[in-house]
Amino acid sequence: MTKQSEIERARMVEMFDNLRADKYTLKEYKYIGKKGPRRTDGLAKASGEADYTMDVQLPGMLYMRFLDSPYPHAKILKMDTSKAEKLPGVKCILRYDDPELAESANLGLLPIFQNDKPLDGIAHFEGQPMGAAVAADTEAIAEEALSLIEIEWEERPFMLDPIAACEPGAPLTFPERYMDGNHWNKGVLDEDIHSDVKKGFAEADRVIEFKIARAGHTWICPERPCGVWKWNGDCPEIWLKNQRGYVAKKYINTWFGGIPMNKIELHMLYQGATFGGWTHTDWNLGGLYCAAVASGRMKRPVKYVFTRREDFYGSSMDEGIYFVKVGFKNDGTIIAVDSILYEVNAIHPVFGPVLHLHESTRIPHLKGQTKSIWVNKGPGVAIRCEMLGPVLTQTMVMDHVADELGMDPIEVALKNDGCKGHNMGWLNEKKKERGFEVRDSLKECIEKGKAEFRWDQAWHKPGTRKLPNGRMHGVGFAWTHEWSDSTGSGEIAIRIERNDGTATLLGMHCDSGVDAENTYCQIVADELGMRLEDVHFNPQFDPGFHLNSPDSSCGMSINGWLARHAARTLKQKILESATSPSSPTQRGSFSPAFPNTSPEELDIKDSVIFVKSDPSRRISMADFARPMALQGPLTNTEAFGTRNAWMEPLCAYAYHTQEGEYNPKGPREKCCRQAHFMEVEVDTETGEVVVTRVVNVNDVGKVINRMSCEGQQYGGSIMGMSRGKLEEVVHDPVTGVMLNGNLIDYKVATIQDVCPISTILVETGMGYGPYGLVGIGEDIATVVPSLLAPAVYNAIGAWINEFPTTPDKVLKALGKI
Amino acid sequence: MRDFKHFNAYSVDEAVALMGRYGERAAVIAGGTDILGKMKDSILPAYPEALINIKTIQGLSEIKESGGMLNIGALALLADIAANPVIKSKYAALAQAAGRTASPHLRNMGTIGGNICQDIRCWYYRNQNNRFSCLRKKGGRCYAIKGDNRYHSIFGGSVSGGCFAVHPSDTAPALVALDAKIVTSSRTIDVEKFFEVKPVKTTVLKADEIVTEIQVPEPAAGSSSAFLKFALRKSIDFPIVNCAVMITLRDSKVEKARICLNAVHVIPYRAVKAEQVITGRVIDEAAAEEAGAAAVSEAKPLEHNKYMVAIARTLVKRAILACAGK
Amino acid sequence: MNKEIKKYVCPYCGEGFDTTEGLKGHVFKTHKGHGLPVSEGGIRLFINKAEYELKVEPNWTLHYLIHDVLGLTGSKQFCDQGACGSCTMIVDGKPVLSCMMLAIECDGKIVETVEGIAAEGHPLIESYAKNHAMQCGYCTPGFVVTSKALLDRNSDPNEEEIMSALAGNICRCGTYPQHVLAVREVAQTLKQEKKQVRG
Repeated sequence: MTKQSEIERARMVEMFDNLRADKYTLKEYKYIGKKGPRRTDGLAKASGEADYTMDVQLPGMLYMRFLDSPYPHAKILKMDTSKAEKLPGVKCILRYDDPELAESANLGLLPIFQNDKPLDGIAHFEGQPMGAAVAADTEAIAEEALSLIEIEWEERPFMLDPIAACEPGAPLTFPERYMDGNHWNKGVLDEDIHSDVKKGFAEADRVIEFKIARAGHTWICPERPCGVWKWNGDCPEIWLKNQRGYVAKKYINTWFGGIPMNKIELHMLYQGATFGGWTHTDWNLGGLYCAAVASGRMKRPVKYVFTRREDFYGSSMDEGIYFVKVGFKNDGTIIAVDSILYEVNAIHPVFGPVLHLHESTRIPHLKGQTKSIWVNKGPGVAIRCEMLGPVLTQTMVMDHVADELGMDPIEVALKNDGCKGHNMGWLNEKKKERGFEVRDSLKECIEKGKAEFRWDQAWHKPGTRKLPNGRMHGVGFAWTHEWSDSTGSGEIAIRIERNDGTATLLGMHCDSGVDAENTYCQIVADELGMRLEDVHFNPQFDPGFHLNSPDSSCGMSINGWLARHAARTLKQKILESATSPSSPTQRGSFSPAFPNTSPEELDIKDSVIFVKSDPSRRISMADFARPMALQGPLTNTEAFGTRNAWMEPLCAYAYHTQEGEYNPKGPREKCCRQAHFMEVEVDTETGEVVVTRVVNVNDVGKVINRMSCEGQQYGGSIMGMSRGKLEEVVHDPVTGVMLNGNLIDYKVATIQDVCPISTILVETGMGYGPYGLVGIGEDIATVVPSLLAPAVYNAIGAWINEFPTTPDKVLKALGKI
Repeated sequence: MRDFKHFNAYSVDEAVALMGRYGERAAVIAGGTDILGKMKDSILPAYPEALINIKTIQGLSEIKESGGMLNIGALALLADIAANPVIKSKYAALAQAAGRTASPHLRNMGTIGGNICQDIRCWYYRNQNNRFSCLRKKGGRCYAIKGDNRYHSIFGGSVSGGCFAVHPSDTAPALVALDAKIVTSSRTIDVEKFFEVKPVKTTVLKADEIVTEIQVPEPAAGSSSAFLKFALRKSIDFPIVNCAVMITLRDSKVEKARICLNAVHVIPYRAVKAEQVITGRVIDEAAAEEAGAAAVSEAKPLEHNKYMVAIARTLVKRAILACAGK
Repeated sequence: MNKEIKKYVCPYCGEGFDTTEGLKGHVFKTHKGHGLPVSEGGIRLFINKAEYELKVEPNWTLHYLIHDVLGLTGSKQFCDQGACGSCTMIVDGKPVLSCMMLAIECDGKIVETVEGIAAEGHPLIESYAKNHAMQCGYCTPGFVVTSKALLDRNSDPNEEEIMSALAGNICRCGTYPQHVLAVREVAQTLKQEKKQVRG
């Protein structure tokens, strides 16, 4: 008879690349979904004990800083570092033409791009760290040394505007990589076509066109990007600020002729947030590479640090101009959308403008084109998240149509809900096929959200409600599907500790704030039947088991499976061990903890193993795991007439893999939805927009860590409001220099800029993750920015299709300037 | 930051002597929240060789009112000014301005002397490593004219008409509205004459002169004052436009009005035309509206800052109405 | 309403004073304060009730001294220009930005960092953890220190007063709503404790 543990392993494999509802969910939950569990990082972070990479100090450690290009496009012709070398405290200066710096190294860009130089001699945006890196006794000395380096530059022409950069005759902005033109992705991830938009427009009652402009915004990670490299012989010991340490290890493995994986020790401390950002750029690892070279030369640990200004390295993937054409019927049904996005510097332009319309609506004819245009700015990368562009398009399409028809945008939403161009009937059939309970997620989200927001009293015709304080009142609505699907794989192990039977999760620590590790513990506790306080994720540890995240992209939809697979496998192992003879050697064995019993008769609850039909027959996990082999002749108890029973190691590992759904032709229909409501007041004399209320409704399928989910809602709303209203990266049009690379001139919302936020979690169970869950971390911060436009439109009766929604734009829309 | 010498001055004379010795090679440090930012970013062509700390001078941080005069030591903290009951009730514009400056932490560190002497925030001037060696740094030109000037002057420039960076202080317009005097180590100046735009200077202070006290005359009976600030964020931000007004009413009509805008011009902008419009009138929406329009009648906005004109006009109107309790 | 507004609280004995001068005088008199430093660049200061005598470089900020030189890494550097509050420490009873202060100008100062606040078992630490008033955690020490300073001078702040006090602390993860909850909860606890002590 097949052992249950083998059955569990078979089920684990079955759930890889999961295409259907969770067939093997639990019947009851003790910790999953509840509001009780404490954050495991809470005390450490509140007391200042939590260590981050920026806090690392090692004996003899040097500090490394980089030269930043003062020009948006320039080549170093000559560089004289002699004065810098003489500065006391300077230990090592790496130059772009140093023979030990590889011509190119694998620094983490996608394979479709060429490998990058760790220290380039050519800059492609102002502020780009390149040219030289100085290692010195202190950061201040390194900084001063940089100012002593004399350089002869060859300035090249530069471009900042994506449309101008496409014009014939426009100078090449990055000729080394994109030699055929600044619109580099011709034929590469540039078209997303469903059916026939020409036909669709012909069938439409009305056709509208509009243009959206979104200024670039950036991640702003509180902890400066940094890392430490220390050679222990030929083994590197590394501390790195990065969301995905395991990915970093993969690239480090290829450096300097190849460093074996088993010699790389990587410490991932707490992470002062990245939201994507730096993790996706080559430069985080470029800095590490330079530190490695310097460390090898100086035989001392080297910490490279990037400054706050250097953190403004790149920006979001939604910066650019969107041309949108929409064809629709008079009843609000949308027939066709054609959108061209001129996207600035997107290095992975996979998320075209119509992606979300394809995944969450019945619109039959869609055409999205993404022209990724390279200009002399930093790279556009995923920042919580890469769906900003398609989500913005969906919100604007839906709300512009509602405006044209004078309809409630919620009605338009419900009319167009669907999937891959099919209506809800089709999607409901798919839900059945996939094994889900058929629920109408959008309807449920809207119902709950409308009630909380009091939408029916709040919504009105645009530009018609003036408040007693003189401001114009407006409300906006946005919706899309709830996503988490991802490509990825992960590994985790769980062991039951000797002596007290507590459970330890072993996986690479990489906390960026979503309390993910606690969430895995909740799953493991419920699956194993142990008390949550007996389950612990051991951080600060590189056991080689890499979790897929938590870059907060899709953490639960891969790592949730991992934790569960490992726990189920382990549980069966425990039960089998409890019913088998223990300590078998040539000299005999000890009788089982539960003799004459089969594993199927046992269960575990509150960290106690017991016989289901007779719970009085029980043994605590502590007692069960306690027997431990003693060591050494003086502890040999045979002399006293006893023998020590020992327990085989109770440890299980698991892995999970999943191919993502970001490709619109992927196999998983998105069944869960999210809906968001925003209320604003617009001061028509100053153009000020005040957000007064937000309601978030997210159908996460199944809540695991309730407070963490809520944190992603209000936290995402605050980031969203900030992005929609305040944040933009500004470059000087004449010199290409970034003007606001600091936290005074780049505006992140303060506590006084935010409003009351209500958070609602819906659980329809229609996610492909374990227990029917789907993710949340990215979703709100991506949707809320777009809400500014429909809310302000409802207030003043004029569309502002440019973001951020600053006072000057409002005054212009009102005709006051 | 790079190396520099540090001196604690224990008296005004000592500070003046040190400043005389070093001239432009040294900088004075009070709260430090402006000068340290400039040094961290190395915005100027030359790094200060020395910092002269004046916080060690006793007796410059008191706030007292006597004999019809409010005397505020130059080192009085913005937080203390904002919380002072006398200032809140009789010199409201100043308390409000101090209370809206920067953030709570910075108000615990920043002094009023520092606030009125602070340097401009123009993002070309403040770019790291002296990236733009502009007119104010004795360089060639103003980079904002053809660049992004969304926060720059709407009333033209200075430094020979070329520099358009605005004065960023919140307390300065309040002091102008309240008709204050600035007492330095060598003279007493009307606050309106205190501000001047020259390369690397925003005031008329000589290289060896420091502010020691600010004197604000007790407002006449029937006076009230108000301060409003417009910024993108409700905290931390410098003003995009601010406005301080002091109105003296007699028989319900405006006998005297002092209206000062700031962050709209290279120095605090006394809206004289607005004062003329409102004087002699009963304060109502229409009169305040007219005054607001008059305040910006001479505006010469740049390409990106037309919106500031509308905001300035609105703040003048609202500050006047606030003085009338409306 | 029985609302005590204390200004500056002695970290040693809890006695309250109206001015920083009063507090300093008291500390120097009662808790063994010292006179002026004797060497160039030499300063004496109290950090979390421990006395330090140090030689500092003029270009060291207070943050650099405490975080990098002394290794008290709780306080964080986020913006390095006085615009985010992450480096907040309490100096002579007031919450200030340590990255914008020179160490050499801190002779004779009384400094409290987040480590000291945690070591005393201040209820804010527990309340912050319980209320999820952190995500990535990098700004959290700055908030804790600022909140502690608020409670020292106003033990029963309302929502507006809390938001006003925390207006200089930036949180990129957006935890703002939770800080109000956490501080309110501690205020309630402190009120209860006072009642018990009195009653």
